[in-house]
Amino acid sequence: MIRLEHLSKTLGRRRALDDVTLEIPAGEIFGLLGHNGAGKSTLLGLLLGQLHPTRGEAFIRGISVQRQRLRALQRVGAIFETPAFFDYLSGWNNLRNLLSYSGPVSRGEIEDVVRFVGLENRIHEPVRVYSHGMKQRLALAQALLPRPDVVLLDEPAQGLDPEGIQEMRRLIQQLNREHGMTVLLSSHLLPEVEQLCSRVAILNQGRLVFQGHWSELAQARKQFRLRLNDWEKARVAMEKCRVILVGQEIVELRAETDIADLIAELVRSGVRIHAVEPLREDLEELYLRKVSAR
Amino acid sequence: MNALALQLWNELYKLFARKRTYIGFGAVVVVECVILWVMSRPQSVAQFRQLVAQHGLSFKRYYSGLTLGLEMVMWTGLILGALFLALVSGDVMSKEVEDGTLRMLLCRPVSRTRIVALKYTTCVIYTFALIFFLGATALGAGMLYCGTGGLLVSSPTEELFAVHEARAGLARYCVGMSFLALSLTSISSLGFMFSCLKIKPAAATISTLSIVFVDSTFRRVPFFGSLLPLFLSTHLAAWQQLFAVTIPWTRCCQDYSYLLSVDAVCFLFALLVFRRRDFKA
Repeated sequence: MIRLEHLSKTLGRRRALDDVTLEIPAGEIFGLLGHNGAGKSTLLGLLLGQLHPTRGEAFIRGISVQRQRLRALQRVGAIFETPAFFDYLSGWNNLRNLLSYSGPVSRGEIEDVVRFVGLENRIHEPVRVYSHGMKQRLALAQALLPRPDVVLLDEPAQGLDPEGIQEMRRLIQQLNREHGMTVLLSSHLLPEVEQLCSRVAILNQGRLVFQGHWSELAQARKQFRLRLNDWEKARVAMEKCRVILVGQEIVELRAETDIADLIAELVRSGVRIHAVEPLREDLEELYLRKVSAR
Repeated sequence: MNALALQLWNELYKLFARKRTYIGFGAVVVVECVILWVMSRPQSVAQFRQLVAQHGLSFKRYYSGLTLGLEMVMWTGLILGALFLALVSGDVMSKEVEDGTLRMLLCRPVSRTRIVALKYTTCVIYTFALIFFLGATALGAGMLYCGTGGLLVSSPTEELFAVHEARAGLARYCVGMSFLALSLTSISSLGFMFSCLKIKPAAATISTLSIVFVDSTFRRVPFFGSLLPLFLSTHLAAWQQLFAVTIPWTRCCQDYSYLLSVDAVCFLFALLVFRRRDFKA
């Protein structure tokens, strides 16, 4: 659904995006992770044709954004970190205004989306009286009109309270599940991305440092907590299996070593095993490891 | 309503729903009231009486709403027009870029050329609206103060003196307002061009005003006398020639060709810059 081919963008002297190649299949919620200035917003800007790439090309539904922007964005919705509206106009008039650039949308369709984002009671009030959360909802409403196939979300939970974050998450999941929309979610909030996305890409200083499933990211390091009766005997067995003791009762296996081999060796050495608990790296650790690896 | 008309309607709605858009209209009324008050003072009336007498004309016939209305327009047109047209046209694109609303718009399947064309058209419509308002209120105020009558036009800077009967004068007045608006569109075009550059809205407005005021000032310096045809303000005053007894059409055509060329260059430059620009938060 979305394809980036060797996309690069230089802003001033800084390489904001460096040779990024990425493919996002249809119907998926895909996470784009990276710290501030990593290139996430630049990538979204290039996808929307708001920035001109220094090199490479972006495609949406196989249509080049750079060569046929109007066709490529025909069924794309987007929201930004800080949604901007005409604060002297009502939410409704802001929607009508933006929609006049997207082709005809019926009043009923707009009302449905307004109801979906929960703004039906405040939509005719001026945007200047809206809270940040309400502006985010309005931003989501405009992104959903007319009904898109692809939604690009740049830090949609930014500035929301915990309730707002949960609500936004629910809406995104609903869009994906019930309407089959492809969602590209850019965020620096790791738990947010983990709860919503099965696949992620990590950007660091404009470079793509990882793309794949969370599980692939987590499997990169195999750590286990062992509860044993004799650590002296165990150390010998571990050396045979080339396993490293990295902390109190915590061992790390090499990629080629299977935990079953270690267990078998420990048993052969006469060690009683009370428990083997796989340890999962927390998200921050995973992310930082990937980012610092480059 | 087709898409283009709807988009233009929405652009106008956005512009006219904003309170600051009306500052220009408010200022026009205030300045007109002040000018009317000044012109109704005995010294001003005496001066006018003297001018009319010099040409062997009847004071009663030409001290009319039309004459006062045109005087008010001549006093306020260029200065207030330049100020408020620069303010609005300098804002039209750069304010949206600054506020981030343009990025929301650029998520939509709309071409940059269309955005530039729509916003420029909005500026032109605002220019005509402001000038027609200026013309109508000036005429209304003049009529209320001293009723109907002939039109006397006196503009020493343009070496113009003419009189017209009431009906012909009114026709000239209406046509004159349209041509004043067309002239001042060049100021809006300048403001719009600056607004499309990567600068703050205030900088766009100040740049436009600087050009207009520097141009008007230098035009009055005798040293630049031989360069008069190159000054924008020389051509901006062309609308006054429509009040001459015999309209100098050749000069008018030359002046308006110059002004329309300025408009075209400003628009094309704005379009070129806008199409190449990157928009980022």
